[in-house]
Amino acid sequence: MSDRVHQQIHARAREESLLNARVCVRTPKTNAIPPEVPPELREEIERHMALYPDTRSAALPALAAAQRLHGWCSPEAIEQVATVMGLTPAYLAAVASFYDMLETESIGRHDVYVCTNISCSLRGADRLYEAVRDAAGDDPDFNVRPFECLGACDIAPMASVDGVYVGPLTPDDVPRLLDDIRTGRPVLADKQLATRLVADPNANSQAFPAHPIEESAP
Amino acid sequence: MPRPTPKTITFTIDGREVQAPENSMLVDAAKLGDVEIPVFCYEPKLGNPVGACRMCLVEIEGIPKLQTGCSTPVKDGMVVHTQSPRVKQAQEGVVEFLLLNHPLDCPVCDKGGECPLQDISFGWGAGTSRFVEEKRHFVKPVELSDHIAIDRERCIMCYRCVRYSQEISEDYELVIQERGAHSYIATFDGRPYDAPFSGNIIELCPVGALTSQPYRFKARPWDIEGSGTICTLCPSQCNVTLSVRDERVMRVLAREHPDVDDGWLCDRGRFAYPKLEEDRVTEPLLRDGGELRPVSWERALDEAASRLRRAGTRTGALAGGGTTNEEGLALARLMRDALGSPHIDSRPAGKLPLELHRALAEPSLQAKVPDLEFAHAVLILDCDPIADAPILDLRLRKGARRHGVKIVRAGREQLLDDAQRAALLEQLRSAGPAQGTSTDAEQAALEVVVLWHERLSAGSDGERAVRALLDLAATLGLSRIDGAGLLEITTHANGRGLREAGALPNAGPELSDVETQGLDAPGIAQALTDGELTALYLLDVDPTESDRERWVGAMERATSVIAHAPFLTEALREHSDVVFPAEAYPEKEGTVTHPDGRPQRVRRAVRHLGEVRDERQVLEELAARVTAAVRA
Amino acid sequence: MTKALLFKDIDEPGLTTLEVYKRRGGYESLRKALAMTPEQVLVELEASGLRGRGGAGFAMGKKVSFLPKGAIDKYLVCNADESEPGTFKDRELMQKSPHTLIEGIIIASYAAGANRSFIYIRGEYSRQADILDVALSEAREAGLVGEDILGSGHSLSLIVHRGAGAYICGEETGLLDSLEGKRGNPRLKPPFPANQGLYQGPTLINNVETLATVPTIIGMGGAEYAKLGTETSKGTKLVSISGHVQRPGNYEIELGIPAREIIYGLAGGPPEGRQVKCWFPGGSSSPVLLADDLDLPYDFDSMAKAGSMLGSGAIIVVDDSTPIIDVALKVARFYRHESCGKCTPCREGTNWTVKLLERIDRGDATPMDIEIIASECENIIGNCLCVLGDAMAMPIGSMIVKFREEFEAHLEATRARSDLGAIHA
Repeated sequence: MSDRVHQQIHARAREESLLNARVCVRTPKTNAIPPEVPPELREEIERHMALYPDTRSAALPALAAAQRLHGWCSPEAIEQVATVMGLTPAYLAAVASFYDMLETESIGRHDVYVCTNISCSLRGADRLYEAVRDAAGDDPDFNVRPFECLGACDIAPMASVDGVYVGPLTPDDVPRLLDDIRTGRPVLADKQLATRLVADPNANSQAFPAHPIEESAP
Repeated sequence: MPRPTPKTITFTIDGREVQAPENSMLVDAAKLGDVEIPVFCYEPKLGNPVGACRMCLVEIEGIPKLQTGCSTPVKDGMVVHTQSPRVKQAQEGVVEFLLLNHPLDCPVCDKGGECPLQDISFGWGAGTSRFVEEKRHFVKPVELSDHIAIDRERCIMCYRCVRYSQEISEDYELVIQERGAHSYIATFDGRPYDAPFSGNIIELCPVGALTSQPYRFKARPWDIEGSGTICTLCPSQCNVTLSVRDERVMRVLAREHPDVDDGWLCDRGRFAYPKLEEDRVTEPLLRDGGELRPVSWERALDEAASRLRRAGTRTGALAGGGTTNEEGLALARLMRDALGSPHIDSRPAGKLPLELHRALAEPSLQAKVPDLEFAHAVLILDCDPIADAPILDLRLRKGARRHGVKIVRAGREQLLDDAQRAALLEQLRSAGPAQGTSTDAEQAALEVVVLWHERLSAGSDGERAVRALLDLAATLGLSRIDGAGLLEITTHANGRGLREAGALPNAGPELSDVETQGLDAPGIAQALTDGELTALYLLDVDPTESDRERWVGAMERATSVIAHAPFLTEALREHSDVVFPAEAYPEKEGTVTHPDGRPQRVRRAVRHLGEVRDERQVLEELAARVTAAVRA
Repeated sequence: MTKALLFKDIDEPGLTTLEVYKRRGGYESLRKALAMTPEQVLVELEASGLRGRGGAGFAMGKKVSFLPKGAIDKYLVCNADESEPGTFKDRELMQKSPHTLIEGIIIASYAAGANRSFIYIRGEYSRQADILDVALSEAREAGLVGEDILGSGHSLSLIVHRGAGAYICGEETGLLDSLEGKRGNPRLKPPFPANQGLYQGPTLINNVETLATVPTIIGMGGAEYAKLGTETSKGTKLVSISGHVQRPGNYEIELGIPAREIIYGLAGGPPEGRQVKCWFPGGSSSPVLLADDLDLPYDFDSMAKAGSMLGSGAIIVVDDSTPIIDVALKVARFYRHESCGKCTPCREGTNWTVKLLERIDRGDATPMDIEIIASECENIIGNCLCVLGDAMAMPIGSMIVKFREEFEAHLEATRARSDLGAIHA
């Protein structure tokens, strides 16, 4: 109850001009009209909200859903989430900017995260990243990023393609990798983590290059 | 609700035994032993400590790691060291870290000279930096709003402003963007930080990252003097410090009074001051050929006195604005004693029977501002705190957030309708200490504060509403319960003080009986319109602002309108015959009475603008001239 | 060398399905536990001596016992934000045997009296989260999760919550803030999560591997489990081994076997002709150990005694082909990227360390700068709000101490090539 009252108090504070025009100039209000929310997005966010004792817990899944729809957490996407969740866009923008997987700038449709953390780097990840980055070039379909440890050092060096882990990779794999993405085939089907056995020690055997970590230009 | 009653304990800090309230935070407890532990992020007004800046690390015997003094509650027998080599190294380390990316622009920074970062760097830093790389850069300064500039390079990420936005004003508009070394303070999509209490973040900022736009480059701390007074722009009567340079107000700062404003200030109170100098009436004006023209005081006083003398008992008077108690008394004397007119009022709402005024003023029924924070429930009745007394909005939020105060809003209808009133009572009672199982004794302890506005008593059923309010108070036993009671927000900033000074049609000073009952404000308007009254004296009030329809005609019909005004409003420009320049509050000396009964002192900070004179002296001079003429 | 409890059937086809899992004896431990009182289950957990597998190594049974008793809302949160570089064991468990984790969560929640539970899984593990979601709906349908589980009167809701990419959310209070829909900033402690955790309620937080071990403990009995491992490090441990070894991967070992057996015996050691230069025994936040330390028993106490830690059980091997400055820079850059920025020493210190290391790498540094790194790392350690600052400062500090000569040699070599070197020469 008191929360709602406070929200009302707050809403009124914004509507009414507290500050007498005679003594103070206020900055013009922007975007007072709540944005239209696509019904399927609203529905998905509300489904997440219903799962938690405190609906705010749905912020990450909600932002992820908005990102799937809009391609990134654009101001528009954030305002839509804010409208459904009853939070301020500022709050959600702050949350979004905290997490690596929530994009606050427009990006390509396909995420290619190349792990460049220590274990992968020890096995040539920096060179791999450069190869992917160069091969993808300025193709707007790709979001190629060097990424922190993705938790698959057993297949180092590796990459996550829209969530599918593939490795160990060499620069030679890169053309096929991008081609698979472009054509919609399963990405490097023979190199997917999902096919790998844990208890087969030989499955882990691989040759790897003898070279130090190479720092890639940021 | 029970308020904290801390027990006193003894602990040792830097070898001296100190007594402090148990569980108070170490940084506060240390002060009681004259030991200062430096802090940046710690600010108890903002709620729980966050321990982010790490400036307050101290050594506590028995705990291996250094602890943050801001978040460590002091216990009996605790032994604390703030000067050990370990602590010194950590403190120097933190200062060094904070200064890595802080620009060395103190000479051109508005905060320079009153900057905690400067002070702490001198006091606790190593004096040198080992950082030789390029510092972090941001576009600067950026307008966070019309009032506030943000310099992100100076920011040390103490989160005070962000916590303020989230925990105090609860607007969630000011946030941190990005993460780690890249983080910075921002709003959504670069929009202005637009909130009724935004200016408080300037004072909270411990560095020069958030600065006041109007104060920008206006003065350095050594150019200014601080002058404590009361802001009388609204009934909140926040305590303020005016920074004065060369007899001009350069800025307004909060002067924390826990029982009045809790250390906060609204943006109107903070940023209105330049307007208090602009477009002021600075000399007496007299209507001449349809225009108001400057004249000498002598001429204006003569004219006003002769007009008042002519009108005599057919004069009405209104007081409002920032009128002090003393000025209210002087006006009442001018009216009752010099002119013999009982028609004086300070309540736009209209007359209430004296017995009701007295019942409402019953000392046992008075709630104080802090009661809003600790009551079980607050009933906000026909009142909109953020508009009527803004600072109380923050107090209500604090009570609800920190102490679970139940906030109930209601209008006059709910009070007057039996069924709705019963439901309201039920709602209030449900906030009680032991729901469902309440015995009489527990019920008796239900603390309810009714925050109501003077407008409840306006209009034809205003009197009925006040009676219903008193009934409600009686039903809830508010006069018997500590921490419960009524708190009335008046229309005028010093509404309560003016009533007690006798600026009422049916009461003299201290709500004493008067021989002749006068007309109330609406009655005066009517009588002016009907020609029964001929003169109107306005003391710092333009009645068309609260009731345009009624008053425009009344002022038009009045033979004489004599106004004491700091600004020429449209109605005053059109209808007044004599205008005396009135003081703005920074120029005033006197007392006012807070809606909760607290007397407060308004002190002169700057000299009168132009030919402005002390208002009380002008009123007395007028009374003297009127009386002398009558005798003569 | 390996000892398979958690990995007993790990590559069994179809183990992710309830059917196969049950055929392999799955959920028998749950039945057994529900037939006991919660107190008895707790006794077994305490008797097992199981220490948390996430990094801190705190006794799991004790952690459960810290939760206040009584009818208040209590929460169980499974920390599946496996983000410590070099660690990938929880991924394996969730991907291949999700029901083991679910069963462990149900039993632990029964012992703790928690009725709401969450698996906070890092966003990058989206496939593993999908697998968990499928397994969970199977378990729900079978009445293993939900109201009145198997007629025991114990009810539990379980939600798989996906993170969005932030290492700091593996820190338990950062995780809680993130799960509450906020930025994942660690909280000031106290209060500890056992008293005020998720939604201010008492909360038990355990790592995936810890919870997945619970069914084994209940199945074999706490005392029996405690016979495995060493006096203070009981049971088996999943070890993720990566870097310069010939057979990187996850291995389940009995705690206390020599590190050499893991690095050389199981993982095959560095490739022909190369030697172990240094190794991280517990993820990239653990201070590095040297080849001389390879014969130490791999357990909590031995690693601590050697000045490092077992951490998450992630061994990263660096061989002699890699300059130490490269390793240091990788580590420092990672922690700078992941610092939440809330507290000063970590936010500023990680950034400064990277800048100093970059200068050394470039050849713009003087020997004094090595001193400065050591000293500012010292100013970070122990002075931060959470352990992330330490997680960078400790391994970097250890590299400075153990490879000082190499840093100095690198400095001289690069300086000689730079203008700075020319001026000073």
